[in-house]
Amino acid sequence: MEMDRESGKLEQIVSQFRSKILHVILDSRVPSLHQQQQESLSLSRVRKTDKWFNLVLGDRPPALENLNFSLRNLLDPMVIDIILVRHGSCSSSVDNLYVPSAAAAAAAAGPSIETVIERWVVQYDCPRVFATPSGADAAVSYKKIYKKCILLLRSLYTQMRLLPAYIIFRQLSSLSQTYNFDLVYKVSSFSHPFSREEEDGMKVYSFAPVEALPGCLCVSVTYHASLSDFNLEPLVSLPPKIITDYVGSPTTDPMRSFPSSERGAHATSFPLRGLRPPSSAPFQRPHSWSSGFHRGIPPTRTQSLAGSPPVYRTSPKPYDITSPPTDLYGNRIQNHRVSTLQQATAFDEYKLSPPFSPSASPSTPTYLSGANPLLTRHCSETAPVTIPLPLTGRSTRYLSPNSSDPSRHSLPPLSPRSSKHDASSQESPSGIRSYRKLEALRAGESPSGLSNLYSAPKVVRDSKDDSGRFSGLLSSSGSPRIGFSRSSSRLSFQDDMDDCEFSCPFDVDDVDVSDSSSQNTESKRASEFTAQSNLVGKKSQDAAVGILVHMLRTAPPLRQDSSCYSTHSLRTEYEGGVGIASGFFMPRKTADALEELNSYREMKDLLLSKSGMK
Amino acid sequence: MNCEVCQLKELEVEHFEIREVLRCILHTIVFHRALGLVRPKDVDLELFEITYVQCGDVELEKKIDERIDHFISWVEKHPNKKSQICLSFYEVKSKQPSWFTNKTERLYWEQWYVNLNVTQHPKHHSSKSHHTKVVVDPGESAIEERSSRRAMVEASIREVLFQIIKFVNEKKDHVPPISEGVIYFPYEITIPSSSDSAFGMDMIKRMLHSGHPTMLS
Repeated sequence: MEMDRESGKLEQIVSQFRSKILHVILDSRVPSLHQQQQESLSLSRVRKTDKWFNLVLGDRPPALENLNFSLRNLLDPMVIDIILVRHGSCSSSVDNLYVPSAAAAAAAAGPSIETVIERWVVQYDCPRVFATPSGADAAVSYKKIYKKCILLLRSLYTQMRLLPAYIIFRQLSSLSQTYNFDLVYKVSSFSHPFSREEEDGMKVYSFAPVEALPGCLCVSVTYHASLSDFNLEPLVSLPPKIITDYVGSPTTDPMRSFPSSERGAHATSFPLRGLRPPSSAPFQRPHSWSSGFHRGIPPTRTQSLAGSPPVYRTSPKPYDITSPPTDLYGNRIQNHRVSTLQQATAFDEYKLSPPFSPSASPSTPTYLSGANPLLTRHCSETAPVTIPLPLTGRSTRYLSPNSSDPSRHSLPPLSPRSSKHDASSQESPSGIRSYRKLEALRAGESPSGLSNLYSAPKVVRDSKDDSGRFSGLLSSSGSPRIGFSRSSSRLSFQDDMDDCEFSCPFDVDDVDVSDSSSQNTESKRASEFTAQSNLVGKKSQDAAVGILVHMLRTAPPLRQDSSCYSTHSLRTEYEGGVGIASGFFMPRKTADALEELNSYREMKDLLLSKSGMK
Repeated sequence: MNCEVCQLKELEVEHFEIREVLRCILHTIVFHRALGLVRPKDVDLELFEITYVQCGDVELEKKIDERIDHFISWVEKHPNKKSQICLSFYEVKSKQPSWFTNKTERLYWEQWYVNLNVTQHPKHHSSKSHHTKVVVDPGESAIEERSSRRAMVEASIREVLFQIIKFVNEKKDHVPPISEGVIYFPYEITIPSSSDSAFGMDMIKRMLHSGHPTMLS
C-alpha cells in the first residue's frame, strides 16, 4: 500500500516532468504553439500545470495533451524530433509573390526536404528489479528529485535558446517575411537512428541525469551545430511600400485614374465585391451608399480599398500577402484574375447603382474630365442635380460669390431667414451641422477611401457652410431629393431646424438685396407662376407634385420683414424653371401674400384638374 | 556544506558592451538559482544574437542594474584593467553575537566569478596587414575587423552561458532546499572597490562571515 503510494508520487513526478519538457521544447521550436502560449501567458493567473517545477509556461496546447496520453507508458522513451522542412525553390515564379505562407509555398513548389535538426530524448531509466525507499527517506528523496528536476528544466529552458534551431524558430515566428522552410515536430516512443551522413555535423549534449530512485531521468539532445549548409533564405518579397497616392488621400485628386498594371494586381482586387466570390463573407460589406462613391475610380483600386478587410487597408504594402486573411484574399485574386476585365462593366454598373454619387460634388467638373471613358460615361449618367433648399445665408456677401461663380450653379440658393435667427445662425447650421455630422459619420462607416471624400472637413471647408447651405453635403450625395433616403437624418435635420425656428420655408430672410426692384417682382412672379404651371402641365402628375412640394418649400415666408431681398442671384441658381423663389425676397404686403395664395390655389386646381382628366 | 565556486571564462569586452554582457550572465545565473515559482522572460541582446532568460522579478532586475552601474563607474575610473564580479548565494544562519561577528551569519554555498577584460579601444590586428597585398580601404577593414571581433565576443558569451548550464547540471547537491514562498536564494553581487586592497578586504570580511576559506576552490 505504502509502496503503491510512493510509486504513485514518483510516477506523477516523472509524468509531469516529461510533459513539462515537451511543453518547453515545443514552445521554443513550433511557432504556432508559441503564439498560442503568448496569448495564454498574457493572463496573469497561474494554472495548476504551471506550478509543476515552478515554471509558468501557460496553457498546454491540446496537441500536447494528446501526446501525453499516447505516451503514457513512462518507461518508454519520449523522442521529440524537430524537423526542418525545406520547400522546393521556385522563387522566380511570379505566383510565389501571391503565396503568403510557407505552407502555401510548399504546395506551389516542388517536393520538400525534411531534415531532423534536433532530437530530444527523455527517458526514465529504471531497472527491472529495484527497491523503493520508504518512510522519511522517501519524502526527502522526492523533494530532492523534485528540486533537481527544477534545476534541469531551468538549464534546458536556457539551452533551448542557445541552440542554432532557435534562430530558425525566431525567424518563422516573425510575420515580417515568409520563408521557404518550416519547422515541424514529431513525438514518438521510438526513433530511427541517424545515418552516418546525418550524424556528420551533429553534436550530442546530455544533461546530468536526475536520480529518481529506483531509476533516473535522462535528457539528451542531438543537434546540428550549424545550419548554414541548409541555405535557409526568406522568400522573395516586395519591399514594403507606402502608398501616398491612395484613393481618398487628401493630397490626391479623388477622381484621378490610376494606371493599370499588366500583372493585374489592381484588377485582382475587383471581384471581391462585384462578383461576390463564394467565401467572401468577411469582405462583403454591402453598403448601398458606398459603391456609388467609387465611380470615377478604376474599379480595381476602388475595390481594393472598399472591399478589403481592415488588415489589408492599413497595410503599407500595395497588397499584404503575409497575413492569413489576405492569404485567402490572394488565392481568390488568382482565381478571378482572368474574368476581371470582362466583368469590369458589370462591376461599374453594380457600383453605380446606389443613390450616392460623388460626381455630384462641387468638384464634379474636374471629375468628369478624367481620362477614363468609363468614368466619363457613368458620371454623365448621374449628373449632379441641384437641390433647391431653404437657404440659411446671413448676408449677400455669401450670396454674391455663389452668384458670380458659374461653376457653383449646382448650389442651392440661400434660404430666407429672419433677423432674429442671426444669433442662432451659428446653431442653424446645428441642424445642418448635425445633419452633416451624421452624414460624415455615415461616410465614416464606409471604407477609408469613401470616408475621405465624405469626410466632414471637406464639407466644412465649404465657405457656404456657415450660412447653412447644403451644397457641399447634399450635392455630394447626388440625390436629387431634398432630404436623403435616410429618414433619421432627415428627421433630425428637420427637428433641429424646427428648434432653430428657421425650418419654415416662409421665414423672411434679413439679407439685404442690393439689385432688386419691387416693381419687377410681381410681374416676374406672375410670369414665373405661369411658366411653372405650363411646365407642370407638361410633366407627369408625380413630377408636378414634386414640383409643388419644392415650391412650397422654397416659398418665401408669409411674414414680412423690413429687409430687402435679392432676386437676381437666386434666379440664377435654378434650372429648368424649377425655382421661382426669386420674387419672394422683396418687401411684402398682405396683398402680395394674398395674391400668392391665390396663385397657389390656381395651381392646385390645375393639378386636380389634370389628375381628374386622367 | 561546501561552497561551490565557478570561475567563468574571461570575456574581452568594450566599454559599451559591459552592461549587456553582465546583464546576460548575471540573469542567467540567477535564473538557475531562482527555484521558486517564476514566469520566465526572454530577453534579446541588442549587440549580439543571443537570447537569455530572466526570472521576471522586477526587484531583482533593479538590483542587478544598480550593481552593474557601480561596476561601470569603477571601470571608468580604472580603465584597461581586468576586473571581476562575484555573484554569491548564501544562507542566513543565526549565530551567537561576538566581538567580530554579527548575530546572523551568511553561509555562502555558491560563488560565481565573472571575469571581464574591458578594453577601451579595439585591438588592431597587425598580423592581417602582412597577408594583404592589395591596399584596402581603411574604412572597410575597420568594419570587417569590428564584425569579426563582434562574432568572437558573441561566441565567447555563448561559451560562458554553456559553462553556466554545465555547472548547474553537474553540481546540484549543494543547493539548499527550496523555501516556501521564496523565489530566489539570497544573493550578493560584489564588485571591485575603489582600490584593489579594499577588494581584498571585502574577501576577508566574507571569510570572517562564512568561517571558512572561500577564495580557494
